[in-house]
Amino acid sequence: MSQNQGYFTLKLITAISFIFCAFNSASHACNTKIGAVLPTSVDWGRPIAETAQFVVDQVNESGGVSGCNVEMILRDTQVDPKVGVDAAKALVDLDGVQLLIGAVSSGVSMPILTSVSVPSNVMQMSCCSSSTAFSKLAEEGGTNGLWYRTFATTGVQAAVGAKVAMDNGFKTVAILYKNDDWGQDLNRLISRDFSSLGIKVTNAVAINDGQPSYKAEVTSALSGNPDALYLGLYPDEGTAAVREWLSLGGTKNMIMANSLKSDDFRENVGMQYLNNAFGTDTASPRVASADAFVNLYKERFGKAPSGPGLANSYDATMIALLAMEAAGSNATGSEIAAQVSRVTDPAGTPITADVNGFASARNILASGGSVMYQGATGNVRFDEKGDVSAPAVVWKFTDGGTEEVEYMSLTQVDDFIASLN
Amino acid sequence: MIGFLSYLVFFTTIASILAIAALGLNLQWGNTGLFNGGVVAFFGAGAYGTLLLGGAPQSDHIGGFDLLYPIALLGGMIVAGLLAWIVGILTIRLRHDYLAISTFGVAVAFENLMRNAQWLAGGAKGLRGFERPLREFLGDGFLYNVSFLIIVLFILLSVYFFLELLVSSPFGRLLRAIREDEYAARSLGKNPTNIRLTAFVVGSIVMGLAGGLYGAFYAFVSPQDILPMLTFQIWAMLIVGGAGNNKGAIFGAFLIWAAWTSSGWLLSRFAPIETQLYTGSIQYVLIGVVIVTMLLWRPQGLFPERLVISQPGER
Repeated sequence: MSQNQGYFTLKLITAISFIFCAFNSASHACNTKIGAVLPTSVDWGRPIAETAQFVVDQVNESGGVSGCNVEMILRDTQVDPKVGVDAAKALVDLDGVQLLIGAVSSGVSMPILTSVSVPSNVMQMSCCSSSTAFSKLAEEGGTNGLWYRTFATTGVQAAVGAKVAMDNGFKTVAILYKNDDWGQDLNRLISRDFSSLGIKVTNAVAINDGQPSYKAEVTSALSGNPDALYLGLYPDEGTAAVREWLSLGGTKNMIMANSLKSDDFRENVGMQYLNNAFGTDTASPRVASADAFVNLYKERFGKAPSGPGLANSYDATMIALLAMEAAGSNATGSEIAAQVSRVTDPAGTPITADVNGFASARNILASGGSVMYQGATGNVRFDEKGDVSAPAVVWKFTDGGTEEVEYMSLTQVDDFIASLN
Repeated sequence: MIGFLSYLVFFTTIASILAIAALGLNLQWGNTGLFNGGVVAFFGAGAYGTLLLGGAPQSDHIGGFDLLYPIALLGGMIVAGLLAWIVGILTIRLRHDYLAISTFGVAVAFENLMRNAQWLAGGAKGLRGFERPLREFLGDGFLYNVSFLIIVLFILLSVYFFLELLVSSPFGRLLRAIREDEYAARSLGKNPTNIRLTAFVVGSIVMGLAGGLYGAFYAFVSPQDILPMLTFQIWAMLIVGGAGNNKGAIFGAFLIWAAWTSSGWLLSRFAPIETQLYTGSIQYVLIGVVIVTMLLWRPQGLFPERLVISQPGER
């Protein structure tokens, strides 16, 4: 019996090997593959993937990368590290990609980085992972310069949130934060920023995903009778928590992280309760290319980009493909990663984030020049750890979307953060 | 071809680690009839225990004792065993669905503890700073993964033979007696309570071993690694493979993990471009269909339990 099984297994393995060989030999004329590992089975993950594909379509429309058509192979992470790492490994080993876009959750991006990207020398660009653990890993030299993310470190968001509280004269603030790496980081940073501005944090309460009710958490946040509420939450839990907060008589003075910049949140909570709710974000609407992104997005998807990480996903994919163009054909992951500074060079020629921008970047890069990418989140600039700092905005909800309340340039943000420390 | 081989090595490593966990569950459910709904807690205890003991010191939480990897792995198994012993003592009177629910609760509590106790293991951002064993000599590439796979396969086989020996011994007969009729076993002067506890702890130590290998392979563990989904995956492996049969547990682990990963790969490759974004959801449906079909068509699993003669000498 066991011998039969052995034969069967052998046959199975041989059959599978043949299938794989067949795929490997059937290569297209000129097709550059890139990999994307994103949580497409999660409601807010799908638009992030759509946005990345949108960028790839535009780049192909402008003539592709190094004359080749770009094919983005999209794999779902299911927000499960095992599945995400396996998908990334398959993309690198079976499809030979030199560039990975993703993942979203830091808990998935981190094992992909340490057990796939770095060992295989593949560049990894994340739109949305925010954990400070990446900065630490980069400081220790663990990323080999292969890691970039377009999500500004949580520090900017926290500092601007604290500034909103100061400007509005709130003396006491309660915090509700998502109980994950991002939320815990945000809570730690903004609590520190609040206290250095002399604002008292009455209570900081963690919100776990998917609870039927947040009454206990909200009651405990209410107990200090704060002037304002800080929300470091995602739309689903945010809606549930804010509804309970308001129904229990909590204040309408709210400060929101960019994750709540969502139509769903506005509609489900109700505009009449959000007149005194201020949001923070790291986008830069003063740059024409950011408006251009909004218009392009509307044109393509028929609605304004709302939902976390869309502008970041757009920039992540565009910058990665620009770097790929700059590195030339058949570049390895580290060669592509090395070109990122050349396409986000503050002294370079400004280019827009669209079909024409990519085409003009191609000419400049081919003649040895450098370009300054002006994208959906402003003039993206990475530091040596692969982190971005960014200009910031304060925004409010309106009947039709959001409007800007205040704009802080990169220098203003940096100065303000320096004044806190 | 080297790419395919490299991926195959990677895949086999993870599948073998999951197979070890499935073997642990098979001892508990397949042989003793203990419904452990919190596999992930013991798996996680092993992973966290190993990385805390074997990792480099970190400023923001305890741990990082830089112990030699085999010692750290042993420590991880002890942590998992201790947790199982405590849970076992507390729930020893519970049977079937009650045990399932309370162990499930333990797993959720364990995940929440790891998510919130930043002083213990870094909280939600996970446990980092573990140096993979022998990395200086083997580098980071293919050679390392092959060596790691060989070690994992060796451990998988050792666990398999150990459990085969255990279930074909008089002790194994006792486990099945308790599974089938606890009162009958008691009437023969056996102490089912102690035996159940022993089987529960041993099975959990095996799960902890799997966790310790898993953590070392990724050199990272975070609360996202220990969500209830993993418990579900390991149960699916055992049910499809065949509860009560160690070969079945291993085969089921490879089969389910292959289905899990290859469905994503195939969909990303062959699904029409407009459905690409929905492949994640389609994948969930496909996996669910496979498990339900299996339960309807062959509830005893691909490798049903064989009746074992406990004393080979009398064959």
